[in-house]
Amino acid sequence: MRQQQQRPGEGPRGALIQARRLSKSYDTPSGPFPALRDVSLQVRAGEFVAVVGKSGSGKSTLINLITGIDRPTAGEILVAGTAVHSLSQEQLAIWRGRSVGVVFQFFQLLPTLTVAENVMLPMDFCGNYPVRERRSRALALLERVGIAEQADKLPSALSGGQQQRAAIARALANDPPVLVADEPTGNLDTQTSDAVLELFAGLAAEGKTVVMVTHERDVQRFISRTVTLADGALVDAPVAEVEHA
Amino acid sequence: MHSPRWQKLWRDLWITRGRTAMMVIAIAVSLFGIGTVLSSYAILTREISRNYLGTNPSSATLELDRVDDALVEAVRRRPGIAGVEARRSLVARVQVGPDEWRPLLLFVVPDFNGMRIATFKSVGGAWPPAEGTMLVERTALPMVEAAFGEKVVVKTPNGPRHEVLISGVVHDPGLAPAWQERMGYGYITPATLEWLGESGVLDELKIIVSDGTDDPAAIERTARELAGWLEAQGREVHEIQIPPPLKHPHQSQMVAILLMLLIFSVMALALSAILVATMIAGLMAQQIRQIGVMKAVGAQTRQISGLYVVMILLISAAAIALGAPISVSAGRGFAAAVADLLNIALYSQAIPGWVFGVQAAAGLLVPLLVALGPIARGSRITVREAIQDFGVSQERAGGRGLLGWLSGLDRTLLLALRNTFRRRGRLVLTLGLLAAGGSMFMTGLNVKDAWAQNLADSFANRRYDLEIRLSRPEKVDGLIARIGSLPGVAKVEAWGYAPTALARPGVVDVVRTYPDGGHGSFSLRAGPAETDLVSFPLLAGRWLEPGDSDAVVLNHMVYGLFPDVAVGDMISLSIDDRPSVWRVVGIVREVGSPAAAYVTDKALEQVIGLPGHARSLRIVTGESDPAGRGAVIQSIERALAEADVSVSMVIADSELRTAIGDHIAILIFSLVAMAMLMAIVGVLGLMSTMSTNVAERIREFGVMQTIGGTPNSVLRIVVSEGVLIGLLSWIIALPLSLPLSDLVGTVTGNLAFRTPLPLVVSPMALLLWLAITVAGAAAASIIPAWRASRLTIRETLAHI
Repeated sequence: MRQQQQRPGEGPRGALIQARRLSKSYDTPSGPFPALRDVSLQVRAGEFVAVVGKSGSGKSTLINLITGIDRPTAGEILVAGTAVHSLSQEQLAIWRGRSVGVVFQFFQLLPTLTVAENVMLPMDFCGNYPVRERRSRALALLERVGIAEQADKLPSALSGGQQQRAAIARALANDPPVLVADEPTGNLDTQTSDAVLELFAGLAAEGKTVVMVTHERDVQRFISRTVTLADGALVDAPVAEVEHA
Repeated sequence: MHSPRWQKLWRDLWITRGRTAMMVIAIAVSLFGIGTVLSSYAILTREISRNYLGTNPSSATLELDRVDDALVEAVRRRPGIAGVEARRSLVARVQVGPDEWRPLLLFVVPDFNGMRIATFKSVGGAWPPAEGTMLVERTALPMVEAAFGEKVVVKTPNGPRHEVLISGVVHDPGLAPAWQERMGYGYITPATLEWLGESGVLDELKIIVSDGTDDPAAIERTARELAGWLEAQGREVHEIQIPPPLKHPHQSQMVAILLMLLIFSVMALALSAILVATMIAGLMAQQIRQIGVMKAVGAQTRQISGLYVVMILLISAAAIALGAPISVSAGRGFAAAVADLLNIALYSQAIPGWVFGVQAAAGLLVPLLVALGPIARGSRITVREAIQDFGVSQERAGGRGLLGWLSGLDRTLLLALRNTFRRRGRLVLTLGLLAAGGSMFMTGLNVKDAWAQNLADSFANRRYDLEIRLSRPEKVDGLIARIGSLPGVAKVEAWGYAPTALARPGVVDVVRTYPDGGHGSFSLRAGPAETDLVSFPLLAGRWLEPGDSDAVVLNHMVYGLFPDVAVGDMISLSIDDRPSVWRVVGIVREVGSPAAAYVTDKALEQVIGLPGHARSLRIVTGESDPAGRGAVIQSIERALAEADVSVSMVIADSELRTAIGDHIAILIFSLVAMAMLMAIVGVLGLMSTMSTNVAERIREFGVMQTIGGTPNSVLRIVVSEGVLIGLLSWIIALPLSLPLSDLVGTVTGNLAFRTPLPLVVSPMALLLWLAITVAGAAAASIIPAWRASRLTIRETLAHI
């Protein structure tokens, strides 16, 4: 297990992500389905947290609430001091572009853009970086994830591992403090998965906070701690920062 | 445009270039229609003024016993008169074959160089014509079947035959084209008229009023005052002709054609707008996950919608760039065709800037406005909704309820049926687009057939194939026996014929006749009450009966002169300058004829006091082929010449058919062209919808293949789906086309011939549109489905 340090922007008691009594239920034809029940969680800056659990345990729901992709039915979610649950869709888009990098299982690179352009896209939407700096920053990020030579290729020309690295570079485009990844290795072979996890670990070591949903069992050597969900609730708390009210 | 989002825009357009091209073409086609109509409208309205008004058409023509220079000078000094000239016109005949003649309308002009009213221009040859020669209107050369410099045989009502040299050619924009009227137009001096055997006396006074030149009431007031003054001077005023002021004889036809084209073009634009909405909705549905990803990395709704708005604007701009220049050429070509119809010369084909402005505005704004809804809906989608979209509808499939009972159906067809009803919003738009296109297509062809039906009916109502108008009333007993005994003549009837007008006690008759004597004319026709040579459809009242002594039946064209006339009214008609009172007993529909009043021959004889005399013969030849009929006409002409009967005009059924056919040829052409335009937009819509449907279900096809579906089964499902949509749209288009056909037929029929067209359902239109939709749907589905079926499962599942 890696050690974490306190970072600027952290909330009370050094938490960058604070989930307070989060609940989420979905309306289904057979009635409300509770996907997440009364979950409280704190993640410090620089932590690399793996969210594990069986299918339907609420893992994806939890990270969707952290990224503002979904809204909680009850409870609060604060990321770097921002009350994500209270933002409008437009505010969420701006906040997400600057504060959270999202990595998907199926990479979700835009197929008509080159790898470098995919990385430049968040900068284009958020305008954090001057136009003339964007490509060089994208190339530096691709260098960082080890695929600089693929910069001008279309995603379809890349292997799965390379596409996921490109997706990670895109998530880092606006230098967000938080990276959220939903089963980023679910579509990769073991060797490539290890490389991607190593990359996340390195980013966490550099100060990024990484929350990753995974089914992989052999991730302990890369992560700070594990959060396990079952039937929408936390089932254990191996590290003291996890609260279950 | 180097930023990634704009790069994405360009590449998306390029990758979906097939669909992009269809959108561009669909908008371009409708803009082409609008541009063509507006360009030709702009050219024609300007050039009509330049041509027709440039002739300085007379406000009124007064027919007197004689007009001399002193009278002209006296009239010129009268109040309210801005201009006056003396003229004469008469109907002669020109020989176009052995014993074969055509009417020749002769205009007698005393001073060709001093003409200021109803002018015409030389386009070659002599000016003025020397004695014994004549000038011929440029459109009349084919009618007199001779060229400039050749001689033709001319016979006036009272003169012998003379060989007359065509010494020059003129353009007279005040007249309808001679080929439409099936008569020649000649221009001679009074000296030539005397040489031809007629009196050289002029009898028409053409005047221009100084006030209210565009007001028929003001013109009539001035003309009546002048007539009263002339009568006070001891002159006889037979008639006042006041054609619709400043309006070309074929202007209403032009307006009808342009109005119809404009209606269809606007409908085409609406159609292409629906198409754009459908395509944009499809494109956004297909890119829903990409939109989700963009939002996940920080894109705001306005940034996403901005992308698609720019996409629409680019597509529209391309459509304008494509459609506008072609429409300029087409507009000029169409204007030239209509100019032929109007006998006007296009001195300039310049198209004013506002035409391009309207095209640009319509091309940019209409697609944008209709696309705003789909763009707003697609851009507002949340990241979660977008990421969880699998390309498979969240909407309830139509399978279990409505289509559940079809369990015995072939699996492929059942799946296609369920797929068809799955995206109901899309289905409604697609069906709406296709049904609208189909109904307009069928309307175009239905109205075309309605015109043909109208003409066929009108000829079925005339059961004779030859009318011979005589120069003066002739005793008919011997004439009928003589003509009736000729080989090839099956039946002869003597009919009375006289120009007429609504008579008012104590005042001169006013008619609405143009200088050609045909357009706007009103004549009285008198035949045997029991005749079976005519049988017009009754609009009100009844037909004539034996014993009717004061009964008159009017044709529907009379509504143009007396809009309020009704059965039971008593009207006073002027016949040979004598007023007589008639009771309106019926109103009939008579297509292709000027206004006419029908009375019994006995009743007319009582009025004019010439029992046993007639002015025309209606003949059934019993010959069906043109050559045989021509031979019969020649033998009749010989027999009449031997009997010393002067013929004014021979109107053969075939000539009449040609004349009426030529009048509406451009209308028919326009309708067919518009139908084709609708078909193009409709099929483009179907093709784009099918390719969008396939594109957004790529992942679904992958799933199907993982559970045992073959590429062929994917192909079958998609093609069946396309054909099903085509069939459904055809079923919807059928009932839609009926009121639309009725509306277009009513508007154009009333404008052109003052009668609504019958509602005709063209079997050809039904079958053609069925074939177009089914073949189009199959073709539109096969290519994208084949592409989809060739993708590997991995490729389809990774599709974003």
